[in-house]
Amino acid sequence: MFGVGRAGPLGPDGLVADGEGSAAPLALDTLRRDPDQDERDALAVLVSVPGVGPATLARLIGAIGSASDVVSLAQRSGAASRLRAAAPSRGERPGGVTDEVAEALIDAARQADRIVDRVRAAGLTVVTLDDETYPARLRATELPPLALFVRGSVTALSARRAVAIVGTRSATYVGRQIASQLAALLSAAGATIVSGLAIGIDGAAHAGVVAVHGSTVAVLGGGHDRLYPPAHARLARTIAEEGGAVISEHAPATSPARHTFPRRNRIIAGLAEATIVIEAGRGSGALTTAVWAMEQGRGCYVVPGPLGAPTWAGCLELLRECHGVARIVAGPAELLADLELPDDPSAGGDVDTEAGAGHVGVPSVAAVLLELGPTARTVGRALVAGLATPDDLVAATDLPIATVLAALTVLEGRGLATSAYGRYRAAGALAAASPAGRRRSRRQFPGTGRRG
Amino acid sequence: MLATVNSATLHGLDGRSIRVEVDVAPGLPGFTIVGLADAALQEARERVRGALRNAGFTHPARRITVNLAPAELRKAGASLDLAIAVGVLLGSEQVAPGPGRPAMIGELSLGAEVRATPGTLPMVASLARRGVRRVLVPAAALDEARLVDGIECIGVESLAEAVGAIRSSRSRRRVVPPSRIDLGGAGLAAAPDPPGVEREGWPDLADVRGQLEARRALEIALAGGHAMLLVGPPGAGKTLLARTIPGLLPPLDDAAALSATVIASVAGGERIRALVRRPPFRMPHHTTSYAGMVGGGPKLTPGEVTRADGGVLFLDELAEFSRDVLEALREPLEEGRVAISRVIGAQTFPARFQLVAAMNPCPCGMAGTDGGGCSCPQTVVDRYASRVSGALRDRIDLWVAMPRLPPAALVGRQEPEDSATVGARIAAARARQQGRRSGLLNARITGRELRAVAGLDGTGRRRLVELAEAERLSGRGTARLVRVARTIADLDDRASVAVPDLEEAARYRAFDARTAARLAV
Repeated sequence: MFGVGRAGPLGPDGLVADGEGSAAPLALDTLRRDPDQDERDALAVLVSVPGVGPATLARLIGAIGSASDVVSLAQRSGAASRLRAAAPSRGERPGGVTDEVAEALIDAARQADRIVDRVRAAGLTVVTLDDETYPARLRATELPPLALFVRGSVTALSARRAVAIVGTRSATYVGRQIASQLAALLSAAGATIVSGLAIGIDGAAHAGVVAVHGSTVAVLGGGHDRLYPPAHARLARTIAEEGGAVISEHAPATSPARHTFPRRNRIIAGLAEATIVIEAGRGSGALTTAVWAMEQGRGCYVVPGPLGAPTWAGCLELLRECHGVARIVAGPAELLADLELPDDPSAGGDVDTEAGAGHVGVPSVAAVLLELGPTARTVGRALVAGLATPDDLVAATDLPIATVLAALTVLEGRGLATSAYGRYRAAGALAAASPAGRRRSRRQFPGTGRRG
Repeated sequence: MLATVNSATLHGLDGRSIRVEVDVAPGLPGFTIVGLADAALQEARERVRGALRNAGFTHPARRITVNLAPAELRKAGASLDLAIAVGVLLGSEQVAPGPGRPAMIGELSLGAEVRATPGTLPMVASLARRGVRRVLVPAAALDEARLVDGIECIGVESLAEAVGAIRSSRSRRRVVPPSRIDLGGAGLAAAPDPPGVEREGWPDLADVRGQLEARRALEIALAGGHAMLLVGPPGAGKTLLARTIPGLLPPLDDAAALSATVIASVAGGERIRALVRRPPFRMPHHTTSYAGMVGGGPKLTPGEVTRADGGVLFLDELAEFSRDVLEALREPLEEGRVAISRVIGAQTFPARFQLVAAMNPCPCGMAGTDGGGCSCPQTVVDRYASRVSGALRDRIDLWVAMPRLPPAALVGRQEPEDSATVGARIAAARARQQGRRSGLLNARITGRELRAVAGLDGTGRRRLVELAEAERLSGRGTARLVRVARTIADLDDRASVAVPDLEEAARYRAFDARTAARLAV
């Protein structure tokens, strides 16, 4: 599907024999040595070379020894021919790397310091496959990226529970609403939410988590310096600040391109124990993420959409084609049960402190509102009852509209309320606080309720 | 024989006094008009010829040359017809002039009736400035012409009446001295319009059920002159709310009323009987052209931004307006005037309007409603929102999302306030602002003066910084927040801005579909 055989990147005969006689059997084990900073830097340089994918890189390193060896080889004169000879690919092509790639490697090696400086200047952490901190779930997949560029918390990648939420970029309001609510729900239940930062479902899922101050991981399709989509720059910043992470397998300067997104999708699926597809049309990239997840033996859940809606057609197709493997999302409570996540985080005490920061111990509404002024407290208490317009809040609190609006600013400033299109709802600790926490599992999805 | 008659034409919003010189000389019969006359003026020859014959005079079979002085000024319109006809009569000695020589303004019909042309008020004013004592004006525009002080206006209905008026020194239709105004603004008829009459035809705020946030925002916007945008699905009540504006605005003060009357006179349309005290409320359709919005055209006609001067320009379906038209609003919003350059000259029109706009959140209009009514992909919603450029969004002080309310809320528990109550608060808040040093409404104050009138104490300043940081406001955004907070304090009749004012003002911050997505729907 991604130019990768079922047997993995190295193929059944992933052994390399070259003219120099260093015929080492190539396995992932050859890469797994104690990496020092130089090795990490060298990897950062090598992944930035256009035309060098994980497979080529693994072959080069296998043949030459280590990433830093590859770089220093490329820096010596006459390196082109040695590089070409160093890693002959299996199969039809005789030469190891093509002339262009060899040139590019030499080029990159000469600028190695600049590339490394750029990574450091961007404040990125490089995590290599050999590092302890490399997410184990991703390492267990076929073709894990050799290096990840991480902004934010590296530990967020290895959260005990992690679920991916993916869907179309041209999402409808309903789809985005479901995405953000499910994301908030799963986050409150202790899972880290993985997604792709795209416009649409991805963005809504991240935003849903950020609103409840949970932990979420965004996997980019390009490099960090070419953040795509630019409209989500602020969201990306917030994710990193709130204890989540924004990661990429590409060097910072890599532009996102058509082919980089399917590669990104396998990381999304690889980081998570299960992938939820929310709104996907036929041929949506979200479906490739789902299929990849299933191929790797991970769970796949699909939110069914109405018949005849083009943006949901892919979801229905997936349910039909992967009958018995892809499972249906029957409701928030059912999803939590299927994923074996606690329905009420306070009850189970099963909250991952990493991911569910802010929900530990789940205080009561009164406790959450304790430090607020009297009017904010009154309005906050009214918000717990559910989605409300300012009119509803005035009716419920008997306060003048001006006071209600000022109180909403206070609540929003503390992350206890959010608004969209003139409606307000409780958020963060206020939404998680009992009794709202218990009510949540019974809540229906928008668009699927009121019609019956 | 040569005859000279004073008249005037309209140039933009100004009148220009024109000397009409008519020479009736022996020679090959002909009728020539020189002096940069436009097409409508060239056709005056035919109207004058017909009018003379039908009024019982003869059209002299001689060589008639009409010169319009000053020669370098382009002249347009039909306001010189009467002066040309009378000039021909004087020049051909069919009529002997009386003692004082009145000026005259008016268009002629072939039946020799005198018709009104747009802009009688500024034209008469320009003659008065020239020291002209008497002017003949179309009877239909007499009320309007009489608003000018220092000049005697005589209404005439036909060419015959005009001839009668110049034969005698006294008019046959002597006019009762009216309540007059001086163009300097002193000595005005001070009787305010009865409020009931002014509000006729527009809905009362009591007709608007619910939508407390939007009602509150409207009150603030009108009190401080702030630009406002209402966003909501169809049926939320955006247009109804906006249509209550005429009943909420206080009457114009003297200077503004004069300016509004001149603009109304030039724009034509309704007959003007008294000084226009009601602030204009214009709601141009979203298909309005560029020239229709900013003004222009062959005669430098004022556009909607000028017609809304001193009042409110309401743009319903903001995102449906063409991009050019919306971008053209930037200069008038910033400068309070609009400069137009055309072949016939450059003009600067006043455009101190307050912008009130309404739009749907997405093309289908249903984004954010219950039950998943919206079927627009996010990209389409974004594109729709981005039709309103950042530069224009930046100039809007108050943003209000209006959700569609459930029927229960519309049936209502409580009787909403009516326009008279809210209007009184708005008038009081405006008076408070105008009593300050600059006399400007809050929407127009900036920089140091804004800091001075806000009167924030230490707590207030700290809270302002917090809010600005939380919303990542720019300098302009922060100033906007303070301005709106200042108006909120004015409505409450307080000398300085308090923390709750800032917090309320922060609610009316800019948003769009994308921020809505970020904020977790």
